[in-house]
Amino acid sequence: MSLPDNNEILLRVRDLVVEFDTDQGVVRAVDGVSFDLQSGETMGLVGESGCGKTVTGLALLGLIPSPPGRVVSGSIEFQGQNLATLAEDELRRIRGSEISMIFQEPMTALNPVFRIGNQMSDVLRLHQGLSRRQARSAAIEMLAKVGIPDPEQRIDDYPHQLSGGMRQRVMIAMALSCGPKLLVADEPTTALDVTTQAQVLEQITKLQREFGMAMILVTHDLGVVAETCQKAIVMYCGSIVENSPIEALFETPRHPYTGGLLASIPRVRDERITELPVIPGMVPDLLHLPAGCRFADRCERVSERCRQSIPELRKLAATNTLVACYEPY
Amino acid sequence: MSAESSRANTIAENQARRRAHGDSLWLKALRKFRHDRVGMWSLAVVCLYALAALGVVTGLWASDWAAVTGPKWASVSTEYWFGTNIIGQDIFARALYSTRTAFEVGVIVALGATFLGAVLGSIAGFFNGTWIDEIVIWLMGVLDSVPFILLVAAIAYSLQGSPWAMHIAMIATFWITTARLVRGEVIKLKSLEYVEAARAIGLGQTLIIFRHILPNTFHILLVQATISFVAAIKSEVILSFLGLGVKDGMSWGLMISESTFEVLAGFFNNFIAASVLMFGLVMAFNMFSDALQDALDPRTVKES
Repeated sequence: MSLPDNNEILLRVRDLVVEFDTDQGVVRAVDGVSFDLQSGETMGLVGESGCGKTVTGLALLGLIPSPPGRVVSGSIEFQGQNLATLAEDELRRIRGSEISMIFQEPMTALNPVFRIGNQMSDVLRLHQGLSRRQARSAAIEMLAKVGIPDPEQRIDDYPHQLSGGMRQRVMIAMALSCGPKLLVADEPTTALDVTTQAQVLEQITKLQREFGMAMILVTHDLGVVAETCQKAIVMYCGSIVENSPIEALFETPRHPYTGGLLASIPRVRDERITELPVIPGMVPDLLHLPAGCRFADRCERVSERCRQSIPELRKLAATNTLVACYEPY
Repeated sequence: MSAESSRANTIAENQARRRAHGDSLWLKALRKFRHDRVGMWSLAVVCLYALAALGVVTGLWASDWAAVTGPKWASVSTEYWFGTNIIGQDIFARALYSTRTAFEVGVIVALGATFLGAVLGSIAGFFNGTWIDEIVIWLMGVLDSVPFILLVAAIAYSLQGSPWAMHIAMIATFWITTARLVRGEVIKLKSLEYVEAARAIGLGQTLIIFRHILPNTFHILLVQATISFVAAIKSEVILSFLGLGVKDGMSWGLMISESTFEVLAGFFNNFIAASVLMFGLVMAFNMFSDALQDALDPRTVKES
């Protein structure tokens, strides 16, 4: 897999911190996340439920529900603009046109009382100033592009008349209709069945190449990441533990957590095993985080230092991997 | 040639699929309502009343409701269908004219209260937990705490006896129930993904509230409007009876109020005509409203 020649940095996130108020106290869902994304690049954002990957995705579009959530600090530089400090109406102009998002649940992501054509036309008329008729034909064209048969007929369907895979295709068509530079896909295939998953994923990557846009794929499915991404970020408890090119990530995972994740994937193995390897212990409560590394209690390589201070994300010598660990593999 | 015919085939298939699938929840509800015998009959009765009111508006009948046309307390006859009152006015004409008053009050109050409830309720729900929500809740609490009849009297006094005082007072109190229901529904709806998706494509808050969320509460609004309609008619009768309601014109409440003297003298025509006509309309409308609620209930829609 070759990286695009264009090495321009599209998105530069630095020290992003997102907090949520809960009844028990303030929870830091995203704690100092930093990464770069080049134009046309595909990046996986991987981790267990609740590790902050979805919140990171939402924060990029300024969509953190507030209250109770807020971006506390950090910068999100997109094409030289800091989205973290941008006013709501300026953000609105960027959403859907420059940065788009697709969601996990295709069943509820379309408004049940509107025909899908109306919802698609909304985006086009809002961002591109098209007339009703122009927007409609553009929407039909987009539906055809995402592989919906008979788009002229389907455009007048209500969401409940479409299958889950179809709805997700409509969502993709909607998200891509204004030709965004960045697509945030939040578990786009999780709610679909396996055969549909593959088709939808293929469709997304095909269109991504066609439009030359960058993509952040938020998922907990490492198989999907291996198939589609050029690099991946592994998150644990709100922080990045490893940021690595995709081949390196799967061949030589550096962080013990990444190693544990990869080991726990079911696959055909050389020797027979009776139980899948698991990472022992539990994810710590975000309200009562340990003083040192958050993975320390579950880690097989834990040392005294790990329990005392939090390791910084640093570049490992002679690799392209960034890892937040005192004792990397 | 073959491509064309296969294309025609897929269109035919699509149409078949659409028929099998049912076009929308609304069509399903309509189909269900049409199978509801009680609902259909009550709707027919309501339509009959509406027709009577329409005839009054267009001047087809009951235009001489205020004229003295006969002797005092004439009994039921082919000339005076319901008899005449204490000064010889035709009770049938007056009762018929009152139908128009009832519909006028019902429609204005139902529309006003539902509109106000929808707008304020959805805004409060969308901004749940912020000061906007607090203000709307405070307003609902304050208006709810004033006794209704006192409120009507106060508004009538401050408007210097304007005939609209009653309408305004009713709208000012009836929107509250609708707003509470809509607010609750909007709080539920706004966390759904299609609202988040609407935000993610860059829509503004006003568009999201009124174009994406509010239409999804339409089933609540429709049922609440019919309930407000009935409540308004009943309140009008009570207020008119108390002298706080209809000022110029005739209503069932005024007829009942007039009849208090007549009942003492043993003449019941005025009282019975107004009560029975009001009962008929309120009953039919309530049954219609019930049937509508059943038809729009998503759980039963799914089963069918």
